Amino acid sequence: MKDAASAREMATGRSTPLPAASGGPAILVRDLTVRFGGGAAPPVLAVDRVSLSLKSGEFVSLVGPSGCGKTTILNLLTGLLPVAMEGKVTILGKPPRPGNPDIAYMLARDSLLPWRTALGNAAYGLEIRNVPVQQREAQARELLARVGLADFCNAYPKALSHGMRQRCALARTFCLGSPVFLMDEPFGALDAQTKLQLEDVLMDLWSAAQRTVLFVTHDLAEAVALSDRVIVMSARPGRIIADVPITLPRPRSVRALQKDEEFHKLYARLWGLLEQGSGSNGS
Amino acid sequence: MVPKALLNLPARPRLALSSRSMVTLAAHALFIVAFISMWEFAAQRGILDPTFFGRPSGIWNYLWTGFVTGKKLWLELGYTVTGALISFAAGSVTAIAFGLLFTTYPPLHRAAEPYLTLLNAMPRIALAPLFLLWFGLGIGSKIAVGVSLTFFIVLSATVAGIRGVASDHLILSKALGATPHQVFFKVTLPSAVPVIFSGLRLGLIFALLGVVGAELIAAEHGLGQTLAYLQSTFSMDGVMALLFLLALLGLGVTAIMNRMERALLSWQ
Ligand SMILES: Nc1ncnc2c1ncn2[C@@H]1O[C@H](COP(=O)(O)OP(=O)(O)OP(=O)(O)O)[C@@H](O)[C@H]1O
Ligand SMILES: [Mg+2]
Repeated sequence: MKDAASAREMATGRSTPLPAASGGPAILVRDLTVRFGGGAAPPVLAVDRVSLSLKSGEFVSLVGPSGCGKTTILNLLTGLLPVAMEGKVTILGKPPRPGNPDIAYMLARDSLLPWRTALGNAAYGLEIRNVPVQQREAQARELLARVGLADFCNAYPKALSHGMRQRCALARTFCLGSPVFLMDEPFGALDAQTKLQLEDVLMDLWSAAQRTVLFVTHDLAEAVALSDRVIVMSARPGRIIADVPITLPRPRSVRALQKDEEFHKLYARLWGLLEQGSGSNGS
Repeated sequence: MVPKALLNLPARPRLALSSRSMVTLAAHALFIVAFISMWEFAAQRGILDPTFFGRPSGIWNYLWTGFVTGKKLWLELGYTVTGALISFAAGSVTAIAFGLLFTTYPPLHRAAEPYLTLLNAMPRIALAPLFLLWFGLGIGSKIAVGVSLTFFIVLSATVAGIRGVASDHLILSKALGATPHQVFFKVTLPSAVPVIFSGLRLGLIFALLGVVGAELIAAEHGLGQTLAYLQSTFSMDGVMALLFLLALLGLGVTAIMNRMERALLSWQ
């Protein structure tokens, strides 16, 4: 419960120092190999000797061709994947387990519960984690205001637009105040305008309370604009083929970056790497 | 399985007395008055034989003596409604319990399914003679028929509803660390409620159908029994009155369920 208390404090927006993960990396993946299937079907090598390490407070994007194992890696970190794996995986020094309060997971689809209002949805994670009702609702309200949904607290998901639902899911994720965020293409299905807007919201929320973020995306511009580093994976079986530091100064505005020359250079470089990785192992 | 169409019933528009709906209402009233007058007129002139079709004034007289001067129809109505409500309550409570049991232990469901399918395939009203023998002429046999109809409808709705829970919601909840208890009460059950509810709505109508059907076959009381008696004595005014009454009863049942659904499922 001590952890939850400090996490809640962080969610109020002040840059509280992270519960120092004994100095070690926030996320550590070493020589991870994952095979699916076996039994009747021939096993599929999904992830091949992947190693990555995220420092506390780092924002790292993971890009790669479809099917290269990005979602698989996130699922493994949450402990939700009952699959044979080799290698070592730790989050804040601990092995993955389902329901780890150190992790906030945001899926690609908003997965809002249609029978709950925006407020109920934003507070859902805290409710599962047994935070008292007044506290969780106050926090959910604050986060909803931060994502521009202050007037929609009592709206049901059916009455929200696609982008608004995604913002509500973002509020639910940030409400958790977990030190580690795993996000799987959270803005994948949005129009360009809404996407820029939500990226700025994410940057604001992230810089207000530094969390470690592992962010999966197909959008290289998004990856460059948001991240400290971009990790590029090859086509299946997924291997890491590049780890590109993004040296653009912070704070960044995703909108302003669209006109930045350095930004476009990095984008072009990543694009080249990704092409190379997709071509090398097509089948 | 509950037919898909059931789940997409259009929400009824609220009864707002705009000038347009006033006009519609007036048109309906006019049509009904015209229809009844034509019927009465045709019966008087012998164009429509009242022995086969009854006549509005006779139907009205029957209802008036049954409900106002005498109390006989209240009693029969009471028997039928009581039977239907008991069938509905007993049938749906056991069905939901079995639905929960089956979804918690799927092997049990797989084992029981062929037998349930066989029972459900049987025209239930054909069981009425058997139930009459077992439970007597009274309300017991009527409830048995009603339950046998309600149970299967609500059972398949419950199973379909619980199975239909979105996997994203489950993944999200598990990632958040929800206990099985939390998953059930915060995700599975609320997501199943709309489907279960359409099963309940249908179940109530079928409970009424079962009870009236069994009363028609053999009974001492009830609207079905009264209907059968009137038919056997060629009292066509009474038959028409009872058909009208049964239609109203069905309509009332649906209206109540709609209202409850709207209150309960406002998020839909
Ligand atoms: N449950 C599973 N059973 C069998 N194979 C699986 C399973 N989940 C994933 N795979 C395989 O593992 C590989 C990686 O899948 P994963 O979902 O991690 O890809 P991804 O990088 O997230 O792709 P995308 O960008 O399209 O979301 C795929 O080739 C897929 O065929
Ligand atoms: Mg994926």
